[in-house]
Amino acid sequence: MRCSGMVAGRRPAGWGARCPRAVGRPVRGPAIIPPPGAGLGAGPGGASGALAPCQFRLLRLAPASQSVRAQRRAGSPEPQSASRRDAPTPSRRCSHRPLRATPMPAGRPGPAAQSARRQPRPLSSLWSPLLLCVLGVPRGGSGAHTAVISPQDPTLLIGSSLQATCSIHGDTPGASAEGLYWTLNGRRLPSELSHLLNTSTLALALANLNGSRQQSGDNLVCHARDGSILAGSCLYVGLPPEKPFNISCWSRNMKDLTCRWTPGAHGETFLHTNYSLKYKLRWYGQDNTCEEYHTVGPHSCHIPKDLALFTPYEIWVEATNRLGSARSDVLTLDVLDVVTTDPPPDVHVSRVGGLEDQLSVRWVSPPALKDFLFQAKYQIRYRVEDSVDWKVVDDVSNQTSCRLAGLKPGTVYFVQVRCNPFGIYGSKKAGIWSEWSHPTAASTPRSERPGPGGGVCEPRGGEPSSGPVRRELKQFLGWLKKHAYCSNLSFRLYDQWRAWMQKSHKTRNQHRTRGSCPRADGARREVLPDKL
Amino acid sequence: MSQREGSLDSQDDSPISFLPHLEAKIRQTHNLAQLLTKYSEQLLEEYVQQQGDPFGLPGFSPPRISLAGLSGPAPSHAGLPLSERLRLDAAALSALPALLDAVRRHQAELNPRAPRLLRSLEEAARQARALGAALETVLAALGAAARGPRAEPTATTTHYNANSTAGVFSAKVLGLHVCGLYGEWVSRTEGDLSQLVPGGVA
Repeated sequence: MRCSGMVAGRRPAGWGARCPRAVGRPVRGPAIIPPPGAGLGAGPGGASGALAPCQFRLLRLAPASQSVRAQRRAGSPEPQSASRRDAPTPSRRCSHRPLRATPMPAGRPGPAAQSARRQPRPLSSLWSPLLLCVLGVPRGGSGAHTAVISPQDPTLLIGSSLQATCSIHGDTPGASAEGLYWTLNGRRLPSELSHLLNTSTLALALANLNGSRQQSGDNLVCHARDGSILAGSCLYVGLPPEKPFNISCWSRNMKDLTCRWTPGAHGETFLHTNYSLKYKLRWYGQDNTCEEYHTVGPHSCHIPKDLALFTPYEIWVEATNRLGSARSDVLTLDVLDVVTTDPPPDVHVSRVGGLEDQLSVRWVSPPALKDFLFQAKYQIRYRVEDSVDWKVVDDVSNQTSCRLAGLKPGTVYFVQVRCNPFGIYGSKKAGIWSEWSHPTAASTPRSERPGPGGGVCEPRGGEPSSGPVRRELKQFLGWLKKHAYCSNLSFRLYDQWRAWMQKSHKTRNQHRTRGSCPRADGARREVLPDKL
Repeated sequence: MSQREGSLDSQDDSPISFLPHLEAKIRQTHNLAQLLTKYSEQLLEEYVQQQGDPFGLPGFSPPRISLAGLSGPAPSHAGLPLSERLRLDAAALSALPALLDAVRRHQAELNPRAPRLLRSLEEAARQARALGAALETVLAALGAAARGPRAEPTATTTHYNANSTAGVFSAKVLGLHVCGLYGEWVSRTEGDLSQLVPGGVA
């Protein structure tokens, strides 16, 4: 467990509306529908200006006409981009919009009031420094015409349907929508999905929409008969964010705070989802927003300074996209309870003299916390060079050296050390383990003893071991009994016997050198001559 | 480098004698234009990839868009005197950074998780400024600097109704157009400067 602080659960506020983009509940993203009566303002209309009048419109936001609503179909044919999910039956229509959007599934909150702070600027404000005039194809009786797609840049839930129109405005008589066609992300849509509403308007019905292919939006384009582009609109199809969870935080040397979290249960919303880490002092202070993101992964943030100690912080994560917002549970912690440190520096691994099964590990205590009266406990882990299995030595206490034993001779080992600072300012709580140090390698000495093998043979040379001595003595006594009536026994006879024994050992050794170990019966035959 | 160390006033093909440092500056500027031509191709590739199909598909032909104050090199550009061509190149390069910055801001909203594209757009704006400044230096040394103040693309007049809301698709097309213009003008600058490089292009 990375964080030892309390996790205080809070019921999230009533986030958002059931209906995306409902009036009065602004969400991130450009508006689908302009206020009634507004339309695309024309450029300089007359030819008196230096530039020709604007003919081509990509941006007209025409309010849905009554005829469109009246002619909307109850069902929809299979779209080219069929979703793998079943389309939910629309049970509620949002007001003030021409398209049929399905309400959000139960349990998935929509945008909250706080999301109003994240409402994006209209894209027009980004173009204000520019002189921008959109021109169409040249005039001159070529039959040039402009068109506008409605709705412009809608945001939709996965599985929902879309009714769109391409309305052509011809400058020459006879401008007709006949022959127009649609493409979505470069692929032509089947003609059965579109139909002529009137001579100048081609309608499109898409059902069961998939999640957007790219975050900048799916490109829905209206084409003239000759394939030229008349108008475009970008569709944003996705899911609202789910509640982030599993927030964990740690402070490196009490100088900062880094937190990471897990995005909602599924993660993929198909829309750009912005995650914002917020924090505040529990008892007072205002909300602060973390600014350095992606420091230790895609869902992380780093607060570099100005953190108070001995007082709890409340930390949470807000997730926002075009379809809604969600907020994590609040994590409460004191920075002192989540302190970690840098890995121990200067880790050295060396042999212990000629001991073939041991290595000595030495390191230095992390210096950053030396002024904070902390104690430290360490862990060592090691593995054989070509193995992925680490063995952990846990009971290293606060020493800065350790001897590893029971190792294999002649083997390269990788060793790492990490530190846990506890006892900061006298606290009894354990801190957070540091990262492991960089691996340090060393090898154990090779063993010099030959390995077992080839059977167990008797020792070399004519010097009898304790076993053969006894056998020889027994043989001598037996020989004596046989010849005991002989009164001429003397040391001369014993010497002769010893000489004969030595000759017998020499013969046995010659057999061993050749790789055989003479059997006892053969030796016995040599020991007991027929005559002496 | 002093003024009028060379001259572009001659309309004929007689060789122009340059002092070594001016010659070095011309070569350097030409090399920069060559490099940026290559970068502009990469920028365009990166841009179309992030916008999604049909951007980048063969045969994709968005509507022609004209930016007041900047258009692509005219077909008659090649027939103009070299000095005029270089002045037009410098004028275009001075207009491009603001447009590229605007495209970058747009893309930061549309493609926030495309850091490479955003960096490339930022680099392109910076490089266009650098190339434009280098070209101005060359022109000044040749006594062929731009005549009078140049109209900035951020002029007060706008032909775009502030009440309208720019659609995302049109913004994508406009960004494509700006990236295309950037490539056209750095390539044109490279071609025009190659005629100034003594001994021809290596």
